Amino acid sequence: MAIAKAERLMNLALCLLGTRRPLSKRELRASIEAYAAAFGPGEGAPGGSGASGTDDAFNRMFERDKDDLRELGLVIETVEGADGDPGYLARRDSNRLPPVSLDAEEAAALGLAAKVWQQARLAGAASGALQKLRAAGMPLADDPYEGHSALEPRIPVHEAAFEPLMLACRDRRPVVFDYRKATAAHPVTRHVEPWTLECWRGHWYLAGWDRDRQAERVFRLSRITGRVRSRAAAFTAPVPDHVTVRGTVESWAGETATGTARIRLRAGAGYPLRARAVSTRAAGDGWDELEIPYGHGLDAWLVEFGPDVVVLAPSELRAEVVDRLRAVAKG
Amino acid sequence: MASNAIDQTRRMLSLVTYLRERPGARVADVARAFGITEDELIADLDVLPMCGTSFRGGDLLDIDTDGDRIWWHNPDAVGSSSGEPLRLAADEATALLVAARAVATLPGLRESDRQALLRATAKLEAAAGEAAGASSRLSVTFESEGGVFADIDRAISERRRVWLRYYSPARDELTEREVDPIRLFAVGHTYVEAWCRLSEARRTFRLDRVAELRLLDEPADPPPIELRDLSEGLVQPAAEDPEVVVEVGPAGRWVAEYYPHDSAEELADGGLRITLRTPDPASLRRLALRLGPDGRIVSPRDLADSARQAALEALAGYGE
Repeated sequence: MAIAKAERLMNLALCLLGTRRPLSKRELRASIEAYAAAFGPGEGAPGGSGASGTDDAFNRMFERDKDDLRELGLVIETVEGADGDPGYLARRDSNRLPPVSLDAEEAAALGLAAKVWQQARLAGAASGALQKLRAAGMPLADDPYEGHSALEPRIPVHEAAFEPLMLACRDRRPVVFDYRKATAAHPVTRHVEPWTLECWRGHWYLAGWDRDRQAERVFRLSRITGRVRSRAAAFTAPVPDHVTVRGTVESWAGETATGTARIRLRAGAGYPLRARAVSTRAAGDGWDELEIPYGHGLDAWLVEFGPDVVVLAPSELRAEVVDRLRAVAKG
Repeated sequence: MASNAIDQTRRMLSLVTYLRERPGARVADVARAFGITEDELIADLDVLPMCGTSFRGGDLLDIDTDGDRIWWHNPDAVGSSSGEPLRLAADEATALLVAARAVATLPGLRESDRQALLRATAKLEAAAGEAAGASSRLSVTFESEGGVFADIDRAISERRRVWLRYYSPARDELTEREVDPIRLFAVGHTYVEAWCRLSEARRTFRLDRVAELRLLDEPADPPPIELRDLSEGLVQPAAEDPEVVVEVGPAGRWVAEYYPHDSAEELADGGLRITLRTPDPASLRRLALRLGPDGRIVSPRDLADSARQAALEALAGYGE
């Protein structure tokens, strides 16, 4: 049975962290049982086969393993050795966690925060961070819930596009994906320089530079169809300091009011309309008259209340509502 | 599996640092400190003796356990530098910082918790150094109704019953009920899971739909119930719920994003034929009205009829 990957990575990490001088690939291959068992001790070593196919396979695995350790935060330096071969080491100075002293309250607060991710990669990274802090002396609270908010926040991540986009934002790599706009019948391929991901009301959005449209755009992750492919090239547009995903999404949702509307509302009905009303007065005969904020999408919302709402003004809103009602009445 | 190997490697590196400082540490304590089960810890302890700087030279970690305590017989074998706490990776700093910032913005969070989070965030940013930079590329905003949140939080900690006036969008009405709150959670919106004394059943209430709330003097007395697994989504229709079929045009495709459904079939015009299940089809009359020209209810028949009827009545209000 092949030696488990975690054991192999652990050995590579300990070798690189434990050495004061750069270790060559050949030395590492000979010192780490998982490499030696799978590929032999390597060219030039006593009993080595020297078969280049085996060397290629070892090289590929070694490169992948180094990348995995870098994902864990290890800083691995590549240094030219005396014999011209590259050597590798993880220096103590560049890998040490600076002193951080967290008290029990702060530790408990971080413990709560670390549980919010419902996405494997980030959940693993958050626990990993806590474990590193724990190893560095972060205290353990006796009862994490005593005296704290009884809240369980969760960050949902259902969108398959999340992880590749998160990595692309992190590494500033352009991406290509197929995107179907809310009202479009078919997806269109978009070329985007991804800036930030934001979760708002439980949905994830991407803000970035749309290369085809040469403009900033916001994308809803659930509307990305198919795979997100990343591109090697660099960003072409400057990344702004602040990106306002929320403002764009609010205007999609019709929450940016551009004026007010006057409606009649049946007494007792339409609580959410009342909660947002600028003014409310009794209009007699079991009706109230309300003034409410008017923005994009208000017509569709008002129609939901059926015969309990009558739009008084403005006239274009009244006409939109009547059109919608006619469409429903037709069946 | 690949990410499990990475998580395990990360954990074992921290374990080595942790165990070096604590000879004879108890298995139960270490598992708790690392947020893992004792079985997971024992599995790690099975791997560690195979690890070191050279399997030939015999420089392997001599760590063993009797199931109760953990002993490390050669803590200097792999060089003292591998015992130092390791810097945070970019993903680790991001995962923790983004979550901490998001939780700290929750209105209604206890002030002492918010202050502790803010202090911890500042210390983490300093300790993470440049690894913290990428965390600005991810952000999460929770929504919650501050006042309601704080009251329910208090009711839970004091184990008190609560009186609610609650808005039900399906019926467009406010109902009054007494509930025993069990827990608060946030998934996009903020919710309270409670035992409803009116329906004698578990109910989930969205805090932005609570119109009014009062803490009562009676103690909360919810029956013991198993908490729902939030990772499966909030709405879980039952197999016996009636089926509703909705056909939408391209402009009504959002329905498939908002309503959990059994199937969504592509139509030739770029629309969808969506089949979903709900315990209360009448609650979808709102959806039928909202869709207007962008879609229609195909079945059940009486739901389609009631939407049509409501539209005709509404048109009468405009003199049509």
